[in-house]
Amino acid sequence: MNSILSLVPFAEMLWDGFLTTVAVSSASILGSFLVGTLVALAVTFGSAVTRRCARIYIETFRNVPFLVLIFFFYFGLPELGVFVNSFWTGAIALSVAVGAYVADVLSAGLKNIRPQIIEAATVYGFNQVQRVRFFLLPLALRIALKPLGSIFVNLILTTSILSTITLTELTSAAKIVASKTFSPFEVYFLLLVLYSLLTHFCSLLVHLFHLRATRHITDA
Amino acid sequence: MVQESLNVYDASLWLSGLRVTLFLLFVCSVLGTLFGAAMALARFYGVPLLAQICTVLGELLRNSPVIVQLLFVYFGIPMFFAVRISQIEAAIYVLTANTAAFMFVVCLSALRSVDEYQLNTARSFGLGEVKIFTRILAPQALIVALPMTIGVLVNQAQVTSLVSVIGVIDLTRVGHILNQKTFDPFTVWPIVGGSYLVLALSISFLGNKLEENIRRNSGALRECEARHDD
Repeated sequence: MNSILSLVPFAEMLWDGFLTTVAVSSASILGSFLVGTLVALAVTFGSAVTRRCARIYIETFRNVPFLVLIFFFYFGLPELGVFVNSFWTGAIALSVAVGAYVADVLSAGLKNIRPQIIEAATVYGFNQVQRVRFFLLPLALRIALKPLGSIFVNLILTTSILSTITLTELTSAAKIVASKTFSPFEVYFLLLVLYSLLTHFCSLLVHLFHLRATRHITDA
Repeated sequence: MVQESLNVYDASLWLSGLRVTLFLLFVCSVLGTLFGAAMALARFYGVPLLAQICTVLGELLRNSPVIVQLLFVYFGIPMFFAVRISQIEAAIYVLTANTAAFMFVVCLSALRSVDEYQLNTARSFGLGEVKIFTRILAPQALIVALPMTIGVLVNQAQVTSLVSVIGVIDLTRVGHILNQKTFDPFTVWPIVGGSYLVLALSISFLGNKLEENIRRNSGALRECEARHDD
């Protein structure tokens, strides 16, 4: 009990770490969604070569550990002359890595759309861009919403890996607090609970989105 | 600063890292699958208390980062309970628990995918619960669980890389060492990443072969699926 109270002075530090985690998660969720959508469209509509490249991208980044990727980016970007801080290195690496998962799920969603819907849209005079914008993407998104939710929950958990590249997010802050207070048990237990709350909140959001996206459907 | 290129001795370092990664993956996959299946059975048959504990534990493990779990077991538990836990032990505990949490979900959904009518029919024919499990439930659940299990294992192959955070000298740690030595991230990390890639691809290749084999050799399964398609 005594040691739990000893954490109180460090509450602000943990809170700052928490906010950094939320910020980097949000940036990466947006980034990975953007990357994933583009790659999914490339897989679905691209030429044979584009499709093949997109597939290789998906397979590679889904099968290489994020820790290896983050080191690659962290040590590799400066060699290429790109000097960004650890926050943006992390956000870029997460966007590229998780984008592969998003692309996989979205392209599966695009494949599952009934062709009649697209034919109908074509008959009504929607051009290719409009068909993607108003029919294909919304429908694919609705199919992919649940798996996307678990991908993004995973992304939030993966941000903890950014502690290895000196970003002071929640895990990093907790490491510092643990070494200052000598009570790693309490600190890391608190951390397990905090991450669980964060990911449950994310799951709840996705669930609400799903309810809203399927509100007109009775048999989905 | 002394910059060196990769040499023959680094290959042996790479091999030893690979051995640690493979060892962890194998041990934790086997133990984790067993524990996960046991947890799923407890939940499926609604063993009081145990079912609830398994659910909460599974949720907590799947909803928190593996890094934090590692730090918790390696730094937190020894401090609080005054026990000694080595790096590799901590890695085995955490990865096993983590694999078990995912296998719990896989096995549970596989068990629930079996049609309840079959179970009720068997019950009304007077089959014992054990026989129902071994003859009806398990064979069908297994074939449903297999592809998902392969997915979990491929994922766990990547998760093993996190043990380098608590100082286990696995493939990723070796990569880190070589990176510090050569200052050549564009050679070192593709090699390390490529090793993981090959590992993951071979797991899914072998898994798919196994699944194909089972499907080909099981006439009953084919019959079952044919009936499903009607």
